[in-house]
Amino acid sequence: MAHASRKEYFVIFVWLFVLTILEVAVVKFELGKLATATALVGLAVTKAVMVALFYMHLKTERKPLKLLVLIPMCIPVVYALILCIEAAVRYQVWG
Amino acid sequence: MTAHAATHDEHAHQDPPDEFGVASTGKIGMWIFLCSDALSFSGLLLGYAILRSGAETWPDPSDTLGINFTALLTFLLICSSVTMVLAFAAATEKNKAKTQLYLGLTILGGVLFLLGQRYEYMELYHREMTFGSSNFMSTFYVITSFHGCHVFTGVTYLTVILILVTKGHFVEDGNHSPIELVGLFWHFVDLIWILVFTFVYLL
Repeated sequence: MAHASRKEYFVIFVWLFVLTILEVAVVKFELGKLATATALVGLAVTKAVMVALFYMHLKTERKPLKLLVLIPMCIPVVYALILCIEAAVRYQVWG
Repeated sequence: MTAHAATHDEHAHQDPPDEFGVASTGKIGMWIFLCSDALSFSGLLLGYAILRSGAETWPDPSDTLGINFTALLTFLLICSSVTMVLAFAAATEKNKAKTQLYLGLTILGGVLFLLGQRYEYMELYHREMTFGSSNFMSTFYVITSFHGCHVFTGVTYLTVILILVTKGHFVEDGNHSPIELVGLFWHFVDLIWILVFTFVYLL
């Protein structure tokens, strides 16, 4: 496995730092519930994926190992989507 | 080398299944464990979301919890992730001193995180925001303490690896797989905290 260079590790570190500051900024600026939630979930998922790909070296692994990780991780995403749809219907978000 | 020893050696260094490339069986096992652990955290976070979506009122976490302080703890864990990858990089270059230094810094990051979490819990305790005082606080303590247990396990695991490195294992002998495995666990702890920080503290 070809591991990433130190430069790449530091670039990812800077990105993680910047995205964390952005997350706190999003909360402080009060963009509205839906926009805040979308922005925060997007930023958190981006950070998590960056850690998995670059620090856990998933980027340089072969496809079967990537699938070994990706497939189980789809399960909570599906549950979360169902939960969001159910809550949206219950609170009549779409009118 | 005798025929028996040669056979034993051959089995000890048996290659993993080809479809996993150079991933060792230890690494495949660690990933399977991490996936199952991720599902445990997912269950807790989804439970939190179900309780919150069904509640008539729910406190705004940013009003109740110290966001800036927790952001600092998040930054601390990200820093410890960097020192962890640097420890692994140093191990692959057979640099024992740097491996020890970076492993030590990673442990320090974990210990500081735990101390920060203890401080946070004490602050909440003094404000009578204890386990059972509300659904929000109960779920907050369950999720963050479960993560804290992982940090404690990670610190212990890293300390054992550091002791073994000091005794001459895993660096000079070229068998740096245990350092990679402890790294996977530590990055996972960081990754989960990124999600916990967002879903419990910020949303």
